[in-house]
Amino acid sequence: MKFAPLALLLLSCSASAAASLHIQLELPKPEHGPYHRPYVAVWVEDANEKPVRLIEIWREKPDWVKDLRRFWRKTGRADQPLVDARTGATKGPGRYQLIWDGKDDTGVAVTQGDYLLVLEAAREHGGRNLVKQPFRWDDSAVDIQVKAGTELGEIILTKGTN
Amino acid sequence: MAIAKLTGLAALLFASQLSAHTLTVVPSHYVQSKTGSFISVDVSASNMTFQADKGIGLDAFYVWLPDGRKVKPAAVYQGKRKSQAEVELATEGTYRLELGNGSRYFTSYELKGERKRLMANKKERAAKLPQSAEKVVTTQGNSRALAFVTVNKPSEAVLALQNKGLEFQFDRHPADIVAGEEVTVTLLMDGKPAAGVELDLSREGELYRNEPERKHHKTDSSGKFVFSAPVAGRYLLEASYQADIASELADKVREGFTLSFEAALP
Repeated sequence: MKFAPLALLLLSCSASAAASLHIQLELPKPEHGPYHRPYVAVWVEDANEKPVRLIEIWREKPDWVKDLRRFWRKTGRADQPLVDARTGATKGPGRYQLIWDGKDDTGVAVTQGDYLLVLEAAREHGGRNLVKQPFRWDDSAVDIQVKAGTELGEIILTKGTN
Repeated sequence: MAIAKLTGLAALLFASQLSAHTLTVVPSHYVQSKTGSFISVDVSASNMTFQADKGIGLDAFYVWLPDGRKVKPAAVYQGKRKSQAEVELATEGTYRLELGNGSRYFTSYELKGERKRLMANKKERAAKLPQSAEKVVTTQGNSRALAFVTVNKPSEAVLALQNKGLEFQFDRHPADIVAGEEVTVTLLMDGKPAAGVELDLSREGELYRNEPERKHHKTDSSGKFVFSAPVAGRYLLEASYQADIASELADKVREGFTLSFEAALP
């Protein structure tokens, strides 16, 4: 309890330091067939499609991580500690919010420029969706809406201050 | 007995270069995200790509582990239409699956107008050839069928060039072949870039298409050719090379290989 003021101070520091990308993501509820929660990975690539920052991966057993084909090839297969650090449990249908703080995997703020937000979802007995959404990372605003697919519903990108 | 079997396979490998049958090694998975699992590998001689026609003896089938060691598969089965090997992927890295005996020497000749063949190189042939043998030609032949399988992080040891026979070098790891991306391959003969190597690139599903959609390539003067896989899926690269050589052991070389691989979704 007595650490609360310090925590607040730290929070307000990082908030004023840099903007962040807010990612609203929907996982749809399929109408047919048996349902297993999808494996989902969300990450940022630079203009050369090189991974810059793994934001989050939702997965269970290692056996099926390879089915996130691009994620596996770009990041998953080579950096187990990073994957473990960003792993969360799989999630069912619903709306979720993720935040990218504008930093790379080593914690350094990225330079201004063009980036890709990449979202990949694969579901057992279901399909696979890949979204590669370009965005500009500088002082300008971000307001992007990505049309829903079968495994990834509507995605909305906005700029936030934390 | 063992020698007889190997000779039989060698003869088949050699014959497969002449006939339309193509030997293929096709793993159930090219990519795995977990160590300690098994894959099943189909080995067959076929006319249409990946359409099994004839099971092949697997005496000459080996697995090269990520650390470079060569081992036998955990189990093999020879069926009428295809053979199968069970391969354990105990550790992380890239494995090479290969069927082949290495280079062999065949001497062909004519006896009273009839074509004949015996297994001998140029040094050995004099003792074996009949007195009246004509049109004697010794060929260094090699035919192999292979595939690479990668668990977690790709590794390089099993890709290392031996500088012997017909080999290939991709401009990327085989686990990084992606649909729509250009790939440059260098073909080498005894470690040197080989011009004029004939290549055929085909993909699965020929039985269900009117056009097989095979692509023919030939290496340029620097031994290179460029391809791109139009869609994600399983592909077969067939290479063959023939040339006259002035060696102590052979007059001609005729080598080839087939490599099955997958082009990943972008």
